[in-house]
Amino acid sequence: MTTFAQHLTGQDEGLNAQGPSALPSIEYNLVRAHVFASLLTLVISVIFGILVATKFTFPEFLGGQGWLTWGRLRYNHTQGIFFGWLGNAFLAFFYYVVPRLANRPVLSRRLGWLLFGVWNFAVVLPGWVLVAAGFSQPLEWAEFPLVVDAFVVLAFVLMVFEFVLPFLKARLSDLYVSGWYIIGGILFTMLAYPVGNFVPELIPGARGAAFSGLWIHDAVGLFVTPFALAIAYYVIPATTRRPIFSHFLSMVGFWLLFFMYPLNGTHHYVYSAIPMSAQKGAIVASAYLGMDVILVVTNLLLSLRENSGTASKDVPLRFVWFGIVAYLVVSLQGSVQALMPVNRFIHFTDWVIGHSHLAMIGFGSFIALGGVAHLWQRIPGTLYNERTMNWSFWLLATGLTLMVADLTIAGLVEAQVWQSSAPWIDSVRAVGSYWLVRTLSGLPILAGFVLFWTSLVTGPKLSDAIVSGTGRTASVDMAAFENGSASPEVSWTGWLSHAHVVAFGAGVGFFALSFIVLAIIPGKQLEDEIKQVAPVTMARLTASEQRGRVIYGREGCAYCHTQQIRFLAPDVQRFGAPTEAWETKYDYPQLWGTRRIGPDLSREFNLRPRDWQLTHLYNPRLVVRDSVMPPYPWLFDGSPDQPTQEGLDVLAYLQSLGRARQLSGFDRQMQPSSVQPAIMDMDIAGAPSARATPPALPIAMMGGYSLSAPVLHPGSDPNDLQEEVSRGGALFAANCASCHGSAGRGDGKASASLLPKPANLTAACFSDERLSGVLWNGLAGSAMPPWRQLPTEDLRALIAYIQRLRAPGAAPGIQETASLELGKALFVATCASCHGETGAGNGPAAGALAPAPTNFHLKKPTEERVWDVLENGVPGTAMPPWRNQLSVDQRHALVEFLRSLYDPPQENDGQ
Amino acid sequence: MINLIVILTSAIMCTLLLVWWRWPVFRVWIEAPKYSMLRQERRFEDQDTEREPATNLSSMASMRRSP
Repeated sequence: MTTFAQHLTGQDEGLNAQGPSALPSIEYNLVRAHVFASLLTLVISVIFGILVATKFTFPEFLGGQGWLTWGRLRYNHTQGIFFGWLGNAFLAFFYYVVPRLANRPVLSRRLGWLLFGVWNFAVVLPGWVLVAAGFSQPLEWAEFPLVVDAFVVLAFVLMVFEFVLPFLKARLSDLYVSGWYIIGGILFTMLAYPVGNFVPELIPGARGAAFSGLWIHDAVGLFVTPFALAIAYYVIPATTRRPIFSHFLSMVGFWLLFFMYPLNGTHHYVYSAIPMSAQKGAIVASAYLGMDVILVVTNLLLSLRENSGTASKDVPLRFVWFGIVAYLVVSLQGSVQALMPVNRFIHFTDWVIGHSHLAMIGFGSFIALGGVAHLWQRIPGTLYNERTMNWSFWLLATGLTLMVADLTIAGLVEAQVWQSSAPWIDSVRAVGSYWLVRTLSGLPILAGFVLFWTSLVTGPKLSDAIVSGTGRTASVDMAAFENGSASPEVSWTGWLSHAHVVAFGAGVGFFALSFIVLAIIPGKQLEDEIKQVAPVTMARLTASEQRGRVIYGREGCAYCHTQQIRFLAPDVQRFGAPTEAWETKYDYPQLWGTRRIGPDLSREFNLRPRDWQLTHLYNPRLVVRDSVMPPYPWLFDGSPDQPTQEGLDVLAYLQSLGRARQLSGFDRQMQPSSVQPAIMDMDIAGAPSARATPPALPIAMMGGYSLSAPVLHPGSDPNDLQEEVSRGGALFAANCASCHGSAGRGDGKASASLLPKPANLTAACFSDERLSGVLWNGLAGSAMPPWRQLPTEDLRALIAYIQRLRAPGAAPGIQETASLELGKALFVATCASCHGETGAGNGPAAGALAPAPTNFHLKKPTEERVWDVLENGVPGTAMPPWRNQLSVDQRHALVEFLRSLYDPPQENDGQ
Repeated sequence: MINLIVILTSAIMCTLLLVWWRWPVFRVWIEAPKYSMLRQERRFEDQDTEREPATNLSSMASMRRSP
C-alpha cells in the first residue's frame, strides 16, 4: 500500500519503475467512470429542465406531487448541470490532462475513486433526492442543502490533493496555462463555495445577499470558466499540433480573470439596497472582464490560425470553437447587462435566463463536450462515432441558438410590459408563446446530448486502440523552437519559476480582496445603515411564519417572486417602496431572488385576504386565469378552504411580508400614484435616510385600505360606450371571471373557496363611484384585490361592462310611501349602527368591519338579492340573517326602503 | 472602490507590458510552456503508438469517420 509520504516523494503507483524519464500513468478507468457519470447526469438534468420549461405552458403538468413541482425540479436542473454534468466532465478531463501537464500522475487511484464516490454518491445523488424531498437552500447556485455542501467542500479538498499536489511536487518552471487554470479553479472554488453556501445562513438579508452575489458569479467564473478554458487551451494545440498564439496573453487573461471575476458578483443586485460603491465597483469590474474575455478569445482564435479546415473536420475541436465564440458573446452580453441603463430594463427577465443558458450550454457545456470527445479518442479502447457526434453538434447548436434567441426576445417583451402600467399578468400572457418555443428548443438539445453519449458507445471497437498521431507534422514555430532558434536556454530559476507558489498566493490574495471589497466592507456599511434607519422595535417572524418561510424556500417561490423592490420608478410604481436593508435584518438566508415570473412579494402584507391567498396557493388559475404558477395541493386537505398546517404556515409568511415596513410608519406621507406625474428614479447614491422616504405611493401595498379613489365615468357617447362595454367584456373575462363567473353572477371557479363570496354583479345596480372605489382599492375583508394598476381607460371599460350586467330587477322602481316610512323606521332601529342612519355605510360600527357595510346610495341590489340577504345574511361578513327577528311585512318594507336610497343623479349610468 | 479596481488593473497591465517589452528573456520564459506542452503531448503519443501493436493510424482515422 502506498503511504502518503510515498505520494509526496513521488514513489506512488503512478510513476513507472522505469525511471524519471518514463511518462506518468493515467487513470483511464477513472476517466471513463467520470465521463459516463457526466453524461448520465447530463441527460437527467436536461430532462429536469424540459419538465420545468413545460410547466410554463402547462402549469398543471405533473403538478400534483411535491417532488415534481416546478421549484424542486428547477433546483435539481441547475445543480445537476453544475455538479453532475460539468463537475464529472471536468474531473474526467483532469485525470487525462494533469499527468500530461505536471509530468506526474495524480496523487492516488484510491483517492480518485473516493472522490468519484463523494462527488456522485454524497453530492449529486443525495442532493437530488433531498431537494425532491423538500430539503434545500433557496440560494441561486447553492440549492443543495447544507449537509451536501459539506461534502462538496470535502470533494474540493480531495481535488487539491489529487490534482494540485502533483503540480506542487513537480516544481515546474514552465507551467502551461491549462495547469494554471486547473490549480486556480480548484483552489478558488474551494474557498468561494463556503462563502456562498454557508455565510448567507449566518448573515441575514442585504448583508447576506452581498455574499450570495459573490458565489452566484463565482460559480460560473471560478468553476465553469477556468476549467472550460483549461480544456480549450489544451484541446486546440493538441489537435492542431501547433502551440497557442501567445502564452503571455493567455497568462494576462488568466490573471485578469481571477482578479476581475470575483469582483463582479454584486452586479446581480444593481439598484438594490447594497451600497452603491459596491454596485458600481462590480459594474466597472464587469466592463474590465469583457475586455479580458476579448483578449482570451482573440488568443484562442488566433491559435486556430491556418487551421480552419481542422476546426471544421475535427468534431471535438468544433465543439471547442463554438464554445469559445459563445464565451465571447455571453461575456460581452454580461458586461453590457451590468451597465445600469441596460440592467434597469432587462434584469429579472427571460433575457437573463437566455444569457445563463448561453453560458452554461454554449460556453461551458460545448467546451466540456469537446474536451470529453477529444480525450475519448485518445484513451485505450475507445473511439467515438464521428457521424453521430456530428449530428449531436448540429442538434445542440441549433437548439441552443433557438433557445437563446427566443429567451432574449421574451426578455425584451417582458421588460417592455414591466415598464408600462399594464397588470403583471399581461407580461405572462405576452411571453406565453415564447415559453412554448423555449420548451420545444430543449428537445433538440436533449437529443444532441443523447446522441453525444451514443457516439461514445457506438464508435469503432479496437482493442487497446490509441488514435493520436493523425497527420503528425510539426508546425514551423514548434520546429523552430525545437531547433533552438526560438529557445535560448532559460536559466531563470527565481521566484517566477515557482509558478505554483505564485498561483496559490495570488489566488488566495484575490479571493481575499473580493471578499473584503464586495462583502465585508458593504456589509459593514449596511450594518451601520441598519442601525441608523431601522425602527427601534421590529417584530421577528412568528413560529408559523418562520415555518412558512422554510416552505416558501423549499418550493422555489423565490425563483419566480423577488422580495427586492429596486430603486427604480417602474418597480416603485408597481410594487411599492424600495426594499431597505433594515427590512431584511432577520432574513436568514435572504430571499431577494434574481428572477421575476410572478410579481414581487415584498409588500404582500394586508394586500390580499386569506381566502384569496389560500385559493391561489391551491390552484392559482382559480383566481388568476392565465397564471403559470404551479399548484400546491399538498398544502391542503383536498380543497382550498381546508389548508394543512403547512398551508397555514405559508399563508402566515406571505401575509407577513412588508409588515415591518408598513407598521414602521415610513410610508405614511405617500400620495396616490397613478394620478401623479412619473416618478423619477430615487436618489440611490444618497444617504440612507433620504432613501428611506420614497416619494411615491406604492401601487400594491395599500390594497384593502380606504383611499380616496378617482371616480371614473364611462363614456357618454353611445358609440364610445358600446366600444367600452365590448372592451370591458374582454377585460372582465381575463381578470374577473375566475371569481365572479363568466356572466358576473359570483359563481366563478374560485367562488367555492372564497368567503365572503364574490359579488353577484347581476343582482345590483352599482354607481360609478362605488365601482371606481372597489376597483381602485379592492374590498377590505374580501378576496377582491385592488386593480388600480390597470390603465384608467380599462377601469372605465370594466365599469361600463359591469353596469350592463345588472338584471332588470335592479332598475329603479316606484315604492309605496307607507311602506317606505315603515322601512325607514326599521332601518334606523336595526341597521343604522352599521349602515348609518342614511344608509351610507358609515354607522358607528362600520369602522371595525371588513368588508365595510354597504353604502346603499352607491349600490342598488335587486329585490331578490335583498330578500336573500335578509333571509340568510352574508357569510363571511358581519351581516347576520334577519328572518327570525323581522316579519315578512317588515322585511318587505326594508327591501323597499333600501332600494329607494340609491340616487346617483350626477353619474352617467351607462344606459 | 472603482478607483481601486482601475488603478490595480492598470498597474498590473502596465507592469506586465513593461516587463514583456524590456526583458526579452521574460518573453522566452513566458512562451516556453506552450512548446513544452506540445512536447509532452508528443511523448504521450509516441508511447501510445509504441503500445499499439499493428494498427495503421490512417486506417483507424478512416474508421472513425465511418458510422
